[in-house]
Amino acid sequence: MNEILSQLNSLPVYAICGGIIAFVAVICVIFIIRAYRTGIAIGMDPTVLKRTITSSASFSVLPSIGILLGVIALSGSLGTPWSWLRLSVIGALHYETQIAQAAAEQVGMSSLTISEMTPISFATIALLMSICIMWGMLLSVFFNKGYLKKLQKEKPAEKTASGNSFGDIAMTAMFIGLVSAYIGSYIGGFISGNGLFTFTGSLLPLSVAVISGLAMAFFIFLSEKKKLLWVDNFSLAGSMLLGMISAIFLQYLM
Amino acid sequence: MNTEKNNYGIFEVYNKKTHMIGRICSVIVLILLVGAPFAIGAVLGATPDLGAVGKGFLSVGIIWTVSSIVEFLVYTPMLGAGGSYLAFITGNLINMKIPCAVNARDIAGAKTGTPENEIISTLSIATSSLVTILVLALGVLLLVPLQPILQNPVLQPAFDNVVPALFGAMAYKYFRGNLKIAIAPLCFISILFILVPSLISMTSFMILPAGALSIGIAWFFYKKAQKKEVK
Repeated sequence: MNEILSQLNSLPVYAICGGIIAFVAVICVIFIIRAYRTGIAIGMDPTVLKRTITSSASFSVLPSIGILLGVIALSGSLGTPWSWLRLSVIGALHYETQIAQAAAEQVGMSSLTISEMTPISFATIALLMSICIMWGMLLSVFFNKGYLKKLQKEKPAEKTASGNSFGDIAMTAMFIGLVSAYIGSYIGGFISGNGLFTFTGSLLPLSVAVISGLAMAFFIFLSEKKKLLWVDNFSLAGSMLLGMISAIFLQYLM
Repeated sequence: MNTEKNNYGIFEVYNKKTHMIGRICSVIVLILLVGAPFAIGAVLGATPDLGAVGKGFLSVGIIWTVSSIVEFLVYTPMLGAGGSYLAFITGNLINMKIPCAVNARDIAGAKTGTPENEIISTLSIATSSLVTILVLALGVLLLVPLQPILQNPVLQPAFDNVVPALFGAMAYKYFRGNLKIAIAPLCFISILFILVPSLISMTSFMILPAGALSIGIAWFFYKKAQKKEVK
C-alpha cells in the first residue's frame, strides 16, 4: 500500500476520527432520550413517538448506504478514517468531493489522487474541508435561539378552515420547491443535458423518480384505502428501494 | 387548562435546555472538527499550510458560506431547535435530514411551531443521524468484504439514483394534495434547466427560487381562502 495511505489508515487516525464520531453518536442518544421523555411528559402518544423512530430509522438505511459509497469513493485518496468522519458528521455527499477537489488544487495537486498526496497537503485539505462547511453549525450557536424566538413572536398564526396556519403551508411549499428543483433537474438533464433540446441526456434519474413515485402511490393506497396504517412507516423506504431496484433493470434498456 | 399550562411549562424548560445543550455540543464538535486536521497532521508529522487554506477558502469557501446562511434561514424553522442543532452537526440535510423530518412530521400529524413538531423533528433527526453513524461504522468495519458488492457495476445505477428515488416518492406524496402550488415551480424550474442546462450542476442553489415561488403561490391561495371564509 502507498506509504501516505497506510499512515492515513493508521490506528491513531482511526482513534481521532472514531472518537469524534462516537461523541456525536452520544449527542444523538441524549437528544433522543430527552425528546422522548418530554414527549411523554407533555402527553404525546407513545405509539406516535415510536412510529417516528421506526419510520425515521427505516427511511435512513438506504441513503446511508449511498453515503457509505461516498466513504469508499473518498477513502482511496483521503484514507478511510477521514472520509468516514466527514460523511458521518457535518458533511454532505455532494459537498465533500467538490471541496476536496478544490482544496487539492489549492495545495498544488493536479487532482485529488493519493499519488500526489503529502502529509502537509492532506492536513491542509482536511482543514479547508472543515472550515468551509462549519458555518451552519456556527450560525446555530449564535442565532438559532434568537431566530426561532423572533419567528414565534410574529403575530398569532391565523388558521385556514383545514386548521393549518400559514407557517405550516409555507413549510410544505418550501419543501415542494425543493422537490421541484430536483425533479426539474432530471427533466432538464434528459432534454438538454447533452445540448439544447437533443433529448439524449440520461433518462434514468427521471424514470427512477417516476417509478418510486408510483410505488409511493401504491403504499398510500394501501394505507388510506385498505387501512393498513403500519405501511406508512415504511412507505418512503419501500418506494426508494423499488425505485433503486428498477434502476438496475432500466440500465439495460437505456 | 391546568394540564395545558403544566405541559407548556415542561416544554419551555425542555426548550431552554435544548438550546443550552445544542450550543455546547455544537461548539465542542466545531473545536474537534477544526482540531482534527492538526491532530492528524501531528500523527503524520506535518501542519496545515494556513496560507493555502486562506486562498482555498476565498476561492471555494465563500460559495458554501452563502449556501450555509441560506440553509440556516430556511431549514431552522422547518426543523425546530433540537432538530436544527443536530442537523447542522450531522450534515446531509437535503438528501436525508429534511425529507426524514418532513416525513415524520406528516406521519405524526404535527403542526409547525408546536411542541409536538419540535419533539417529532428532534426524534426523527437524531434517529436518522444515529442510523447513518451505525451503517457507516459497520460499513467501515466490513469494508473489505463489502467493497466488491457495493461497487459491483451491476448495482451501481441503484446507488447512483438514491436521490431521484427519494425525490420521486416525495414528489408524489406532496404534489398530489398541493397540485395548485406545485405545478408552477415544477414547470418554471424545468424550463429553466432545459434552456440553461449548465444550471443543473447547481441544483442545490436553485432550491431557493423554486421555494420562493412555491411560497408566493401558497400565500396567494392562503389569502384567497381567507377572503372566502370571511364572505
